[in-house]
Amino acid sequence: MINVKTAQAVLEAAVSTGAEFAELFAENNSRNNIGITNGIVERANSGTDKGCGIRIINKERVIYVYTNNMTYDNLIKIAREGAAAIKGDTKHNITVFNRLEVSNAHPVIIMPDTVEKKRIVDFLMEGHSRAIAYDSLITQTGLSYLDSVQDVLIANTEGLWAEDRRVRTRISVSAVASNESEKQTGYFGPGALQGFEFCENTDIKAIADEAARCAVTMLKADNCPSGKMPVVMDNGFGGVIFHEACGHGLEATAISKRASVFTDKLGEKIASDKVTAIDDGTIPNSWGSINIDDEGTPSRKNVLIEKGVLKSYMTDRYNGGIIGMAPTGNSRRESYKIVPVSRMTNTYIAAGTDKREDIIANTEYGLYAKYMGGGSVNPASGDFNFAVNEAYIIRNGKICEPVRGATLIGKGSVVLKNIDMVSDDLALAQGMCGASSGSIPVCVGQPMLRVQDITVGGRG
Amino acid sequence: MDIKVLKDRLFESAKNEGFESCEIYYQSGSSLNVSVYKGNIEKYQSSENGGFCFRGLYKGNMGYYFSEDPDIDAHMAVKSAKENAEVITIKDKEFIYEGDKEYPAVNVYNAALEDITAEEKIQTALDIERYAREYDSRITVNRSMVASGDNYVYICNTEGLEVSERENHILAYVEVMAEENGEAKEKGEIWIGSDMDSLDPKKLSETACKKAISALNSESIKSGGMKAIIENEIFADIFQCFTESFYAENVQKGFSLLKDKIGTQIASDTVTITDDPLMPGGYATTAFDGEGVASRKKTVVEKGVLKTYLYNLKSANVDGVSSTGNGFKGSFRSAVSTAPTNFYIEKGDKSVEDVIDNIDYGIYINDVAGLHSGANGISGDFSLAAEGFLIENGKITRPVDQITIAGNFYEVLKNIDTVCSDIKFNSSAIGSPSVYIKNIEVSGQ
Repeated sequence: MINVKTAQAVLEAAVSTGAEFAELFAENNSRNNIGITNGIVERANSGTDKGCGIRIINKERVIYVYTNNMTYDNLIKIAREGAAAIKGDTKHNITVFNRLEVSNAHPVIIMPDTVEKKRIVDFLMEGHSRAIAYDSLITQTGLSYLDSVQDVLIANTEGLWAEDRRVRTRISVSAVASNESEKQTGYFGPGALQGFEFCENTDIKAIADEAARCAVTMLKADNCPSGKMPVVMDNGFGGVIFHEACGHGLEATAISKRASVFTDKLGEKIASDKVTAIDDGTIPNSWGSINIDDEGTPSRKNVLIEKGVLKSYMTDRYNGGIIGMAPTGNSRRESYKIVPVSRMTNTYIAAGTDKREDIIANTEYGLYAKYMGGGSVNPASGDFNFAVNEAYIIRNGKICEPVRGATLIGKGSVVLKNIDMVSDDLALAQGMCGASSGSIPVCVGQPMLRVQDITVGGRG
Repeated sequence: MDIKVLKDRLFESAKNEGFESCEIYYQSGSSLNVSVYKGNIEKYQSSENGGFCFRGLYKGNMGYYFSEDPDIDAHMAVKSAKENAEVITIKDKEFIYEGDKEYPAVNVYNAALEDITAEEKIQTALDIERYAREYDSRITVNRSMVASGDNYVYICNTEGLEVSERENHILAYVEVMAEENGEAKEKGEIWIGSDMDSLDPKKLSETACKKAISALNSESIKSGGMKAIIENEIFADIFQCFTESFYAENVQKGFSLLKDKIGTQIASDTVTITDDPLMPGGYATTAFDGEGVASRKKTVVEKGVLKTYLYNLKSANVDGVSSTGNGFKGSFRSAVSTAPTNFYIEKGDKSVEDVIDNIDYGIYINDVAGLHSGANGISGDFSLAAEGFLIENGKITRPVDQITIAGNFYEVLKNIDTVCSDIKFNSSAIGSPSVYIKNIEVSGQ
């Protein structure tokens, strides 16, 4: 994308006014997507995003300039424009780049650009046929496929030269169940840091069945009750509770401004003994994994909370610098158009020792949240919310009737202490996480767990 | 990129590859964004960016390809679009539009904005931060930002259409945190405009600070059905989650509960909804849509009765009507779909204060969270984390948080008792006055 000589000249221009640090991030991202609605191929699109961003840091000031005009002259021009906003006295001598040697922990077998579109369509159509045949109440389906091959180059004034390729594939399956006046949906969106082999290894029929079953079940369900009650959250996407209630509050982006309830809490007990939480960007082929982060720091496994005690934040170079912590491999961004900040990768609550059956059996009355939707949090107050897509009432230790339309809310600092049972069946689930550096692929995860007391916002 | 040269190459390749007709949609823009923190510049970001989308009809199917790469091989782009067209199985007729005879004049570009220097923007951001800091000792400012941007769109096709539009704007945003007794509340306020003179930095800061401070020492309330006023911008945000059900393409595919509802009462008779792409000063004001169809104002719901869906060329052809000029793309990369422009609920006569006066016990909602997950655009169901104030005997008595409000949007539309006189648009150009609803389910303690 950019040769060594150009990179060197651009970085020199970027620190020509004495900035402490400059970094170049170049990207080429080729994508395909196909959408099928009600069994008809409605959408097929492909293309490439390509551009470059130059970040200049001096003390606590960040200058960022970006463009998709990657000619030598234009890159030098924008680097100088950026440098003009800095008056520093650091001298640099960028003579040689040290190439970061990272072995690819995420092998790709079938590159997306070698796959015939027809094959992708056939694969999605299997899902459609299955979902529509599931029940006469299923009236609509929507399936989609997307892939992206993102090549990145990161070079900085400390002599780092790092390159990485991220190949991602994701599908989504949704089914709509209808009666005369109502519609309910079931949705799943699995993905991986993999090529088309992800699709080959995915049982789309089973996913279609599950989406259809969820839609039909919710169509027949009553409204969820309101008020505070114990909630049992199933494994996999249930992990969205940790992602929202705690994860965002442990990102150095919030900590550096003291705009998180977890500021100054390292070494303190912030969760119940049952909670050990991990952010691990190294899980092979996992949707949220990366070989290196977007500053060129190798990804790693970070224990955030160990038996309830806060062990680490997730940091990037800039925000970590403000709070005096080294980068943890969490600096991420949607594209070259956005400055990277501390973000999650694959974040989960580790397996405990309780058994699923015991968690249900020990709950006299409460809500069993089988599938969760997305959520959000305000890290400053810790107020979080997330949606429940499929839920049941637990009565006398048994899962009873389905209920719909619930959002769970609470404060992160409180809910973490209220987790009183954690089972041994850890599973991860894939999603997109939106924050100040854009929308990025992440996994959430957890074993089945119980929160003693949480506000359930239903309509009943 | 020299777009006209690229266009000629693409069109020639397309002809050779057997495309019946084709089009280029080009978008470019630049932006400058400054943030200050504790009296210093924290972030200074500038950009110049652009990209195009090629699309064309091949054996009646529309194939797409997009790129940001100015040196793209035109032939490769066209071949990719052809490969995409070859898998499409949709039978509805697609259009490369020849254009309208006349386009309305809109005023969306203010040359004077280009003269505002980076220094002036930095100074404004510093002023905003200072006003907020000085407002109250409980306030810290997490972000104070001023950003300007301009955006150019050019559409040209083989059927004779050639239109372009340049737009620019400036925005200011402040995010403050109020802290007391170990509890924090963070609130923000945004301003978007087309000239710097109409920005009042002090007012912007004070609005954000008032919101944050008034939310301190909030507590939850008892669960149950309640009378509720939902503040203008918040109701606009909720309304936005359900705008897709007004798209004809969703109605036709069975994804909208508004199917077969034209001419029927879908909302209380106090509700009139307008889509006005020609509104002066609107954030979505434009002379033409993403297909090159001339913009026009239309009433979508009149006194509660659904009058029309929002159409693009394809969905209009299916229903045998004209496009309403709502065929838009999410970005230059996307396929043409449907979107509203300046889409709003018309204001009523009563002030919010008058409505509060008559509520014996109720809730005033001025913030919600979780709209992307807690509102289902198809079913209409929503359950959202919310904050606001308790209303007792015609007076606001205390702040409330840790509650949810839940309901079904289509039921809420029918249950709107009063539409107030205080219309406000959110940053996506969806507008609403504050509304008074007789009953909403509140979950708290």
